[in-house]
Amino acid sequence: MTTRTGRLALALLGGAAVALIALELALGAGSFGQPKLADPCTASAGRSGGGLDGTVQRFARAALDGAACQLHTTREELVLSFVPGAGTAKVRWSRQTIDRALRAGLQRAAHELAGSGIAGNVLGFGLSQLVAPSVESLLGQAK
Amino acid sequence: MNEDRRRRVKTLVVAAAVAVAFADSSIVVLALPDLYSRFSTSIVGVSWVITSYNLVLAGCAFALIPVIGRMDVGTLTRAGLILFFAGSVGAASSWSLPALIVFRCVQGAGAAMLLAGSLALLSALAGSQKRGLAVWVAAGTFGAALGPALGGILTQLFDWRAIFAFQAPVALAALIAAAESHVHPRADSGGGGKRTPANVALALLFGALVGALFLSVLLLVTAWGLSPIAGAAVLTVLPVAALAAHGLGRELSARTSAIAGAILLAAGLAALALLPAVSAGLVVVALALCGTGMGLAVPVLTRRAVAPGDGLVHDGTVTIGARHVGLVLALVLVAPVLSSDLTHGARNAVLGGAKVLLDANIPVRQEVPIVLGLRNAVGRAPRGTVPNFAAPFNAQGAATNAGLREVRDSLVGAVRDALTRSFRRALALCALLAALALIPILLARRRGFA
Repeated sequence: MTTRTGRLALALLGGAAVALIALELALGAGSFGQPKLADPCTASAGRSGGGLDGTVQRFARAALDGAACQLHTTREELVLSFVPGAGTAKVRWSRQTIDRALRAGLQRAAHELAGSGIAGNVLGFGLSQLVAPSVESLLGQAK
Repeated sequence: MNEDRRRRVKTLVVAAAVAVAFADSSIVVLALPDLYSRFSTSIVGVSWVITSYNLVLAGCAFALIPVIGRMDVGTLTRAGLILFFAGSVGAASSWSLPALIVFRCVQGAGAAMLLAGSLALLSALAGSQKRGLAVWVAAGTFGAALGPALGGILTQLFDWRAIFAFQAPVALAALIAAAESHVHPRADSGGGGKRTPANVALALLFGALVGALFLSVLLLVTAWGLSPIAGAAVLTVLPVAALAAHGLGRELSARTSAIAGAILLAAGLAALALLPAVSAGLVVVALALCGTGMGLAVPVLTRRAVAPGDGLVHDGTVTIGARHVGLVLALVLVAPVLSSDLTHGARNAVLGGAKVLLDANIPVRQEVPIVLGLRNAVGRAPRGTVPNFAAPFNAQGAATNAGLREVRDSLVGAVRDALTRSFRRALALCALLAALALIPILLARRRGFA
């Protein structure tokens, strides 16, 4: 026979179990552990420190976003596709496609930088010229 | 020492050996990373240290069923204890993984004979079958729940070999206690078909316990990087809750206790599957539910599967086989699911880590050595372990730089979150097994069983 104490204890344990699962769902169990990768077509280059260092990083991010947007992927997938043994997809686009996408990305980055005046325009052009040979070399290695 | 006291000590010693034989199903789990690096093997290879014991135990238990009624149970128990002792000594001094697996098989064979024979021995020592069965059930429930925590403490304090070295004197003491005891089972075929629902429910519940006894340990130690002793501290909640539930079980009818136990175990495993963060607190609460469920359902179902009477030893052997078959089948079922999800989880971890790095507000002069350090950390990490992603940040002064520390913690967190999610489907599968145990429990009532 189940006693009154037993019924009460079971009700408490049942309530605790339901409360725990409800709490976990409320805390975001559904999406937990999945990387929240931004859409590169709408993402902004994000915050970075000031000075040339910060500008270079913002430029690189905008360029990656632009290229990833062209290739219908994320900037993380794009970067990792060039890293051997990263566990993600290897380069899966043709050399011409990546070439086109990276040029579009660099253009977008230069355009974004140009928004900050004449200095930005000059810096954007300079960075495009600096980054392009590195990209060429990276593509050469990846192939 | 008077005769009564001597019998009580003997009962305790034999019960300890029974608890150790049940604990052995999961006692090695917290030592798996140590074994993995000691023997430079694969995950599948090291998993055989657990599977071999349970598989041989289940096989030997079923092989004993047709002949157990014609055997001298005292001799069977003593032979089992000798094998268990020899297997423990051999396992403690193993020089290679194949040797360890062979000695684990010897331990499994000894454990099957010991567990089957000990029911009659404990009945003789405790003075009645009812009391002997109560001791056997309590030792089995508590031993199974205590296994991982005990193994973790021994591994951290000494070495993985200590797990087996500790078992040898327990078996030896029980052998001395059993040496003077003469018990003969009354030949009988046992409870037959009417015990089947309880045994099916036990097989499903022990399959479900793979989630609490194995997966939670792997999560805590391998994915979250807890030390064996810290993992053992979290897992201690399992035997504590099981023990507390044993008392609560007296306030409930057998059927209510079994149903509530299966539901609470399923809920605890579902809570582990639905973790929304890397939180030892949430794991403790979920494991407390699992332990309570185990403490409510396992004793009452075992008493249904093995009732005092002529078929005590026969029924005991059947139920030992049933619960270990459940355990082995669940391991076989869960392993490929976890393996596939961990591969996917590792990919998500890399993507999450890349996002953190790309979004990071770190000067380029620090970012470049960190990225190179991360690449080296991945290359240096032993197979099957999570690389030390914090080290490259620490080398760049994360201890004194709040910005760097924030990026480090975000990256380590992203990796742990993704790996934690990889355990979700395997744990959900275990929760499903616990829920399925409700079917034979509910059906048993219709057959006038509960």
